[in-house]
Amino acid sequence: MTTTTQKKSIWDRLEAVPREALYALLLIFFIIPMVNPIGFPVPISDEVRRWYNTIDALPSGSAIMIDFGYSGGGEPELGPMAVAVYHHIFSRKAGLKAICMSTSIEGPLLWDKAMAEVNPSRYGANYGKDYIHIGYISGGEIAMASIGKDLRAAVSTDYKGVSLDTFSIMQGIANAGSFQLLICYTTGGDQSEGWVRQWYTPYKTPYLCSVLAMMVPTMLPYQKAGQIISVTSGAQAGQMEVLVKVPARGIKSADVITMTHLLVVGFIVLGNIAYYAKKFSGGSK
Amino acid sequence: MMRLVRRQIPIGVVIVTSVIVMSDYFFKITGTGPLVTMLTNWGIILTAFTLGFGAINLFYLHTRHIRRRTSGQWFFSIWLLLMVVVFAGTGILTGATSSTYTWLYNSSYFALSATVYSSLGFYMTSGIYRSLRARNIEALLLLITGTIAVMRNAPALAVAAPILIDMDKWLSEFVVTSAQRGIMIGAALGAIALGIRTLTGRETGFLGRLTEAEREG
Repeated sequence: MTTTTQKKSIWDRLEAVPREALYALLLIFFIIPMVNPIGFPVPISDEVRRWYNTIDALPSGSAIMIDFGYSGGGEPELGPMAVAVYHHIFSRKAGLKAICMSTSIEGPLLWDKAMAEVNPSRYGANYGKDYIHIGYISGGEIAMASIGKDLRAAVSTDYKGVSLDTFSIMQGIANAGSFQLLICYTTGGDQSEGWVRQWYTPYKTPYLCSVLAMMVPTMLPYQKAGQIISVTSGAQAGQMEVLVKVPARGIKSADVITMTHLLVVGFIVLGNIAYYAKKFSGGSK
Repeated sequence: MMRLVRRQIPIGVVIVTSVIVMSDYFFKITGTGPLVTMLTNWGIILTAFTLGFGAINLFYLHTRHIRRRTSGQWFFSIWLLLMVVVFAGTGILTGATSSTYTWLYNSSYFALSATVYSSLGFYMTSGIYRSLRARNIEALLLLITGTIAVMRNAPALAVAAPILIDMDKWLSEFVVTSAQRGIMIGAALGAIALGIRTLTGRETGFLGRLTEAEREG
């Protein structure tokens, strides 16, 4: 038996770089800014500024409905944004009421995690007076419709099972009309679009939405139509942290995003150079 | 009689419920509010019930795998049921928001799901390297738009070259939004057609399996 071993050109090798090598490079570009933050500049996008201005313009005593609708997998992306926005809400001198619910079953646990990061007591905010979590409500859009129509008919206790009547924050909160703003963080399209159908359309509640970066294109038509004031991706958390002046995980990940995206652009260029070099040297079909 | 119970009564229930809920949504008819609130609350209870039903179904399916020693499956089934018991037991005994349950969630499920989701970045990078090549006009267009999106989403690059922000904005507002609108309008028309079929009793998929005679109706 004879075997012919054709020597591979450098372009062949470059075209078929083993995925382990690509993974290793990505890991290096990921670890460097994590261990040693570079401090790249973070531009504030129109969407994030609009989001910030919307909360800033809320009159004193306004109630905000917040849906913690993301799952554990999406927490690294959406968690920092949720934390930064809570910092903004609590830092407002004229108090705002932050009433949270979850359309995701993991929501209450992730909310606890976010609250531990925010530490509301540093702003003098108290549970039951300035903020609350009324728990996971099953049913998706049915839950949104139900609490929009009559909140107390749908839920009677907070996420720990304590009656809502015992919390001063819940006084005067009856339905969607009691809220001046709706915020949704979600990893699910049903939730982000559901709030448009169940709250914006019938009650015209101003709506801010933060989703996974890959979901943003799906939500853009709603923003363009004015049904959502601002759609942001969790990857923009660094921008919100700059605005609220509380640098945390978002800023760190902004460095990581820049470094890894640069690497990806490098990969695209390299892959195309290898492809065309091979083609013009007669090595390609 | 069987036909009445299995087909006509469920369809009747769906029609009446849909008409009440839709009338309230679109026309705000006075007096229907409490009825719609009750119906939507029933919806919440029913979906919560399906979670429990799903758990029972999970046990039924996986105990069968364990009993039959299904190759490559039965030991995963044991592990799955064990985890269901551990999580459910801890939740019932200590409360689903207790520190014990939170610890269990944070140190197992949360860490694993975040890791699995994050690992997509590696696959995507490898995929981009191999597939984003200007092989033809269509691939070139994808390459250009993809590269603009990647570069614009890198904060420092967007600062260094602000034109990326304008290019990405144009792509998002005109190209992406108009294409997405087309998809959404198409899906909405499909949903309306399905709704009309359901309301007129032509769509019976939600009734489960029907006999041929029932199907022919």
